[in-house]
Amino acid sequence: MISLFVSEFLQNYCAILYAKCVTLKILIIEDEQALLQSILAFLTASGYVCESVSDYAGALEKLEVYNYDCIVLDIMLPGGSGLQLLKYMKENKSQDGVIILSAKDSLEDKIKGLELGADDYLTKPFHLAELSVRIASIIRRKKFSGQVVLQFGEFQIDTAGQSISVSSKILDLTQKEYQLLLFLCINKNKVITKNAIAEHLWGDDMDMASNLDFIYVHIKNLRKKIVAAGAEDPIKSLYGVGYKLEIP
Amino acid sequence: MRLFTKYNRVNIGVSIFVFIAGSVGFYLVLHYVLIKQLDETLRSEKQEIVEYVAVHHQLPDIQNTKHQWITVQPTAQSFIADLISSYSIYKAKEEEYESVRQLRFGITVGNTKYAIAVNKSEVETEDILQLIILVTMGMIALILLLNYSINRMIINRLWQPFHQSVTAIKNFTVSDMNFLVLPQVDIDEFNLLNESFNKMAQNIGTEYHALKTFTENASHEMQTPLAVIRSKTEMLLQQTEWNEEAVRNVLGIEESIQKLSRLHQALLLLTKIGNVYYDFNETVQFNELIEQKLLEKADLLQAKELSVVKNIAAVDLLFHNYLAEILLNNLLGNAIKYTPGGGTISLELTPEGFTISNTAASGALDDEKIFQRFYKTEQEQEGIGLGLAIVYEIVKVSGFRIQYFFEEQQHLFRIYFNQEK
Repeated sequence: MISLFVSEFLQNYCAILYAKCVTLKILIIEDEQALLQSILAFLTASGYVCESVSDYAGALEKLEVYNYDCIVLDIMLPGGSGLQLLKYMKENKSQDGVIILSAKDSLEDKIKGLELGADDYLTKPFHLAELSVRIASIIRRKKFSGQVVLQFGEFQIDTAGQSISVSSKILDLTQKEYQLLLFLCINKNKVITKNAIAEHLWGDDMDMASNLDFIYVHIKNLRKKIVAAGAEDPIKSLYGVGYKLEIP
Repeated sequence: MRLFTKYNRVNIGVSIFVFIAGSVGFYLVLHYVLIKQLDETLRSEKQEIVEYVAVHHQLPDIQNTKHQWITVQPTAQSFIADLISSYSIYKAKEEEYESVRQLRFGITVGNTKYAIAVNKSEVETEDILQLIILVTMGMIALILLLNYSINRMIINRLWQPFHQSVTAIKNFTVSDMNFLVLPQVDIDEFNLLNESFNKMAQNIGTEYHALKTFTENASHEMQTPLAVIRSKTEMLLQQTEWNEEAVRNVLGIEESIQKLSRLHQALLLLTKIGNVYYDFNETVQFNELIEQKLLEKADLLQAKELSVVKNIAAVDLLFHNYLAEILLNNLLGNAIKYTPGGGTISLELTPEGFTISNTAASGALDDEKIFQRFYKTEQEQEGIGLGLAIVYEIVKVSGFRIQYFFEEQQHLFRIYFNQEK
């Protein structure tokens, strides 16, 4: 019993260490330069080591030689289809996580992409914060089999148990509050718009202004719970347009 | 009316008319000929009498029979012209009238003048006539009957390929990848029809796929610049975060992107539904879908303090999962959006239909315009005005029917799963 506990602790601890020490490599395959630059800047600022390539042949070259923790893959590329690249990777037993970026919102494409072994599918136009949180989720799943305790300042997030503790006290959060705090943590020190939060929490069919006020209620509750646990409130609001979780 | 019935109606009608006209003509001609023959007999009788008188200078013995009799009357008239006429007499024995043909002529025997009338019954003539007409009528009836049954048999067989083609065309849907292929048959007209249909289906298929590709490409081409703009505004937001004016401007752009993106997706969806892009062969557990959607929106319901009244039976529908989800999302989303805080949303599901109603903030909506694209009421500013248009299209292509009611200060949308009222 004790040994089980110890091994679990060690595993978690190692995972934390691993996540902290090992740099995570991401390959971005996207032919639209302007978009590529934004993704690169955003993900680099999030602490990833990013490489980028903007055509089929170049992508194939990179995939033949290197391994990545996560690949951001556009479907329509000059010289070939992203789905073909996906096929190539699966044939070569690549363990890299893949998130498809596509402008195609059709159900068939989504199903096809996921069937070919993609880990996630994001439809353009997306929020950079959403991309970031999806990539983090894929890496957790693929690399650490979901057994990760993430450390953000005073926050410790156990993604397997879906619980967050601050200063070693577990916060009593609702499902939505957990998702919200995780979202803010992964996009720490960045301004996140209410729209991005709303889409993350409720999906993109929610086009209601009332939602946005509703986020405010969630944030307020979160702040209360964090302060009650004895920590300082790290969430800054920005003129009512968005929020930012500040962690030094 | 079936082609065969129509054809037969004309065919048999004309045949009967022609046969009747023919029969009447035939009767008249035959009657004429037979009477002529009768008259001939009467004249030869007269000739015999005249010759006898010329030789013997007296009238011959008159032998009357049942069908022929001669009357002789002395007369004062100096000259009697030959006169052939018909008249009827009543035969007490047979209790009927009988037509008689008569030739009246004058003859002088010595100094006496006689008026002689040779009478001959037409009964025999009529009997022959009757027999002939009867045989003719029988033949006509037989011919008509044979004609009808042969036509029926042959036409049914001849039209077989036509019915096969129609069945194949009925089952043809343009969204299927397989083209319509109608078989070669041994009738040129049907072959021509089949070939034309094959070609048409092929053209439609090609056009359809071209359109589909275009729609998707257009979507791709537009979503990508949108993605660029959004990513740039988000980067800009990181840089201008402490300048309130700049942040508000950037947010304005972001909101427009949001709206544009949604508008675009909604229009794309409408186009897809309009092109019958979807097959309705999935069994959707509608009641469970409703529960799932209510769960997803529990937060919002709670935030607006809306109460939900459910009366939901277990209903499985032959539908399309994705479209069913959009349908419910839009209807429930609208209900939540437009119900004033503290109001009530009622959901009712029976095998006949689904009804969603919510407390109205103001009066009835214009039920003529409500399902139109981009129709907005005064109090609705933020929406894109396509939600109900999408609902309407989905309901239409799935063979259902939707109606809007305003009852007891409630907006009420009812979907009928059966076409008939």
